[in-house]
Amino acid sequence: MDALLAISNELAGAVEHAARSVVEVNARRRFGSTGVHWRPGLIVTADHTVEVDEDITVTTPDGRTLAATVAGRDAAIDVAVLRVDAGDLPVAEITGEPARVGHIVLAVGRGPRASWGLVSAIGDGRRRRPETADWLSLDLTLYPGFSGGPLIDARGRVVGMTTSGAARHFQIAIPSGAADRTVEELMRRGRIPRPHLGVGTQTVRLSETLRERLRTDQRSAVIIVDVQPDSPAAAAGLMVGDVIVALGGARITEPGDLRAVLRPQQVGETVTLSVARGGEPREIPVTIGERARRA
Amino acid sequence: MIASVPLDFAGLADALRRVTVEITDGDASRGSGVLWPRGFVVTNAHVARRSRLTVRPIDGDHLDACVVARDRDADLALLRVAGVDLPTAMIAETPARVGALVVAVGHPFGLSGALTAGIVHAIGPIARNGAPWIHADVRLAPGNSGGPLADVSGAIVGINAMVGGGLALALPISRVLDFVRSAGVAWP
Repeated sequence: MDALLAISNELAGAVEHAARSVVEVNARRRFGSTGVHWRPGLIVTADHTVEVDEDITVTTPDGRTLAATVAGRDAAIDVAVLRVDAGDLPVAEITGEPARVGHIVLAVGRGPRASWGLVSAIGDGRRRRPETADWLSLDLTLYPGFSGGPLIDARGRVVGMTTSGAARHFQIAIPSGAADRTVEELMRRGRIPRPHLGVGTQTVRLSETLRERLRTDQRSAVIIVDVQPDSPAAAAGLMVGDVIVALGGARITEPGDLRAVLRPQQVGETVTLSVARGGEPREIPVTIGERARRA
Repeated sequence: MIASVPLDFAGLADALRRVTVEITDGDASRGSGVLWPRGFVVTNAHVARRSRLTVRPIDGDHLDACVVARDRDADLALLRVAGVDLPTAMIAETPARVGALVVAVGHPFGLSGALTAGIVHAIGPIARNGAPWIHADVRLAPGNSGGPLADVSGAIVGINAMVGGGLALALPISRVLDFVRSAGVAWP
């Protein structure tokens, strides 16, 4: 039983280590959620648990209550960043090492409370969106109030932020890398830009002749059926009838791929579209725009 | 290093089964109990409702037992089995830690010596300002009541008493020891 005892002690030690940087976030009516002291003075939590903009407080593991303000938030990624005067509250040990399917992980909630299980899949399995492609699906229970807390490995290092996505029986974690990029963007721009191309497309089958001419083995691509005026696509000279085969080297086999390969960091950058126009391959540079937000 | 040693949940289960008894009242199974030194058995008060019951060790015969102390508020009862030599449970010397692996053995749904494993979820009261309980994410059923929650060295950290919010709720062993002591029985 020595091996079991060693693992048990590691798990308990991991929770103890991580819990030093875990706070209770009081930003909704019913009961608090959990937050992680991610960077000095910045608490990361789940956006859906921050229901108010004012009078937010966080409670530290030693019972101190700190006033917090929203430094940035994004509902699509479900990350909110709160600013606090953290004092000597330890910053979490965050690892960018990607978690793998089958890894033992623990979700930690304020208290501390803990729940353990496995990484069951990569991707959130619901929708195909660029934001969620590397999210972790978890085989563990996220108990009430756990959302926004850390997902930790057996060494107590933070591998992600857990969220129930405001839905029951939905256990996911945003990996540390993605959460960190979100924090970075929110601190830099105050928001997460949504990349925008400005085309309407449909899936189209590539004939063998066209595949040979394009030197590709992919069976399908997307055909442009609409170019929005004043869009990045219009500016780049894309036309209805153009067949988009790849974007920045990534295959485009269906309309969802266009959204899946565009990243917020690419807004303002120029990428190359591989297009077939009149059966002839062309490389067309296009500068990715930002989608206008609803007020 | 860890990976080279077998993870012996089976051995752990065997060790715990030997110190866990089924408590029956006539033909009806009422729950589980933990073997204490000198023929005593600890269980929940809600398991030991009558003053005379039978206890059955794993692979053993039914033995007559009488209740020597019962505290409904603490939900603990102490039974005594006369004249037989039974093994004795080990008691954890340190309190349970959040995140530590724990196992429970009991007699749920007529299953004998069923094992379930999980981790300590939290240590805290179940009512405001109440005494602390061990909350563990092990899957319990009614027949687990009175049975052991143990660490992976096989030492008892609590007595399973309730299920709440999908979690097992166990009385910490310190409280159990206080109860047994108050009944005039010293450990060991």
